[in-house]
Formats: sequence, C-alpha cells, structure tokens
Amino acid sequence: MTLIYQIIAASVIALIVWNLLREKRLAEQMAAALVLIPLILRVLMLK
Amino acid sequence: MKGGERGYGRWWTALGLLIAAAAVLLVASHSFLAMHVDPPIYPGQGVTHVGALSDYFDRLAGTPADTPVYVLEGAEPGGTALILGGTHPNEPAASLTAIALIEGATVTRGRLIVIPRANHSAFTCTDPQEGYPQTYTIETPAGPREFRYGSRGTNPVHQWPDPVIYINAAGQSLAGAEVRNLNRSYPGAPDGNLTERLAYAIVELIRTEKVDIAIDLHEASPEYPVINAIVAHEDALSVAAEAALLLEFEGMQIGVERSPTNLRGLSHREWGDYTDALALLVEAPNPAQGRLRGRTNAELIVEGVDPYYVRAAERGLLYVPFLEQGHPMDERVGRHLQTVAMLLEVYNTYADADVVMVGVPTLASVLDHGLGAYLFPPAAPTDSP
Repeated sequence: MTLIYQIIAASVIALIVWNLLREKRLAEQMAAALVLIPLILRVLMLK
Repeated sequence: MKGGERGYGRWWTALGLLIAAAAVLLVASHSFLAMHVDPPIYPGQGVTHVGALSDYFDRLAGTPADTPVYVLEGAEPGGTALILGGTHPNEPAASLTAIALIEGATVTRGRLIVIPRANHSAFTCTDPQEGYPQTYTIETPAGPREFRYGSRGTNPVHQWPDPVIYINAAGQSLAGAEVRNLNRSYPGAPDGNLTERLAYAIVELIRTEKVDIAIDLHEASPEYPVINAIVAHEDALSVAAEAALLLEFEGMQIGVERSPTNLRGLSHREWGDYTDALALLVEAPNPAQGRLRGRTNAELIVEGVDPYYVRAAERGLLYVPFLEQGHPMDERVGRHLQTVAMLLEVYNTYADADVVMVGVPTLASVLDHGLGAYLFPPAAPTDSP
C-alpha cells in the first residue's frame, strides 16, 4: 500500500517538474516549486 | 493573449526555483529527521536494568514502536509495579513523570518497571494543524533540558493508511484515526498493525513480569470531564478510592472514575480484563491540549498559563479550576508523582508482595523546587539529581 502511494506521489512529482520546466508564467512556476516540497517529503517518508 | 501568459518564466527561473525548493526541503528534512532522535534519559542510581519492549514480543524489534524499558529492582523481594508514560506524547507530564522516576527514584522492596515513551513512534511527529512546537525545555539547576512534544497517535509515516472506521482487537468500533491510538488498541494483536503489536507487547510484558499493579499516566484538556482523576478497573477500584481519599487529606483534590465496561481498548479496561494486574489510569490537566486554548507554544506547554481558559473557567465551561497561574508542568508532574506514590502505598497495605520506593517528591516539593531539581542536568550526569 505504502509503495503504491510512493509511486503515485513520485509520478506526480515528475509531472510537476516537467510542467515547471516548460511553464512560461513565473507565478505558475513558483506554485509548482512550492507544491513539490511536501510531495518530496512524502515520497521520502520524512513527513 | 492574457497578460499573465506573457510571463517571465524561463528555463533559468525554473532551475532557480528548483534549487530554492531543494534548499527548503533540506531545512525541512533536517527539522523532521531531528524528531527521530530521542532526547537522552539518564538512568539514576535506582535503575538496575534497561531493556527493550521487544524483549517481550520479538516482532516489535527493529520497528519504530520498540522502546526502552527501565527496571528499578529493590534488594528485598516484593511485588511488581508498571508505570507507563508517553502513551500520548502530546500529554508531556506523563512522560516527564516516568523520566523523573527513572532518574530519581530508588526501590527498596519489589520492582518498578517504567516505560517513559510507551508510543515511541508518536514522539517522532506532532499532530497536524495544531501548531505544536517540536520541543519544550525544562529548567534544571545546571541549565535548560530539552524534551520532545509529540502526537496522540503513531506517526502515519510508520502506520498508514487509517481506515474509515477502526474496529479494535476488543471489538470496539472507533473513528478511523484511532487506529494509531495506543490507548484504544489494547489488548493488541500479534499480527495486527504496528500500534496493535505495540499494545500486545505491553500486555505481554505485564503477563511475563507478573505485574501486580499497572498505572498508565495521561493528561487531559481542561474541558474534558475525566480530569484530575484516577480511572480504575473494578478490581482496582478500592485502591483508587482509598488513594484519592488520602490524597484529599494531603490537600490534593482528585476524583475516581470506574472504568466503563463498554468502552473497550483502553488500558484501564483491557489490562484489568486480560492480565492479573490492577489497572489504573491517571489524568492531569494540560492546557496545551484543549480546543479553547490560545497561542500554542512551548511556554503554554511548560507554564500552562492561558487567559482564554481563565475566561472559560469564569463561565463554568471547564472541569478543573483555572486561575491566572494556570496549570504549570511542575504542578502536573507533581500531581502524577504524588498519585503514583500514594497508589503504591495503598496497594502495599492490601498486597502480600509490596513495592516500596523512596526518592519520589511530593507535589509540594515539586512546586517549591521546580521539576528541574528532580531531573539530571542536560549534560551527562555524574550524580543523582
């Protein structure tokens, strides 16, 4: 169960990073960078 | 084209933001990982053995739920008492009371087994959306000593996901989040989730060590009805009632509640039903726990002063008096220490095999000298506190 959760979260992280790199609006880039932080903490099981 | 779509986002702004996110991640990771490092407990002269809870149930070994077990054994044979602190790490007076016993008490007859961080995993996080600090400090004569505030339940990183409805090993239906609450998980299950295995290990300890009297220390919010009270299994009711009466004679008001037979999974119910121990639970008032509290910080945890609770008390909304001086940690730990000592004293009058301990301060002593006077200083100890 936890592994599936981590795979889903890692997939979402990959998509967000992809969007962050392609995004032309700075505000959207900033939002994406913020969203990444809790997701990465989740994948690493730190929080 | 919308104005925002023109934007200023470039590959190098993306890269810069990724670096900034990584920097925030590093700081946050360091903070969260620090929660997994246990603040030291210094065994006093009375401690004769330090083991682990997994000694009683090996499936707990290597898990975040395994926790140290301190044994204080007297020179003379006698009975065995168990003191549990840290069932709920957001009720810090319970854990601090256990630590004060480990660092300062001596047993002359019988055995005292102390588990200061019963739900060890729950010390590695705080409850979400409560604004709790990760640590608080107690002043000792040699400087401030840091302790960890924790969560009511097992860290979800260690046990996930919560069900919608949790049916515990005793058959009680509860809200899903209670699946991580140690004091809803008794008598535990050897093949259950981490919290149930932890509960099972504690029950196994009680059985293996033939514990005669087991006391689970807690705190409650000032608006919770069961507060400043001893909750007793029916087998322990006479001990609790006599102890409460004697404590009243000594100037400490404390109530007695009979453990409900239809509320299953709690220590005072299942320890009594599943083992031969007299099962008791003790509550002190913790202003940092309640919903009516104001600013939540380490000062509230330690000093216990909250103007909103003073106003709530004036309106008759609380189950304990709440004056401007609040309910400081010194008072809450002092209450627990004096209650534990009195429960054992009363138990000894009934039992063939008694437990006699010395070096346990009274409520008045803790109020006079401060809790820090009964703990080791922050650095490695050289002598008793």
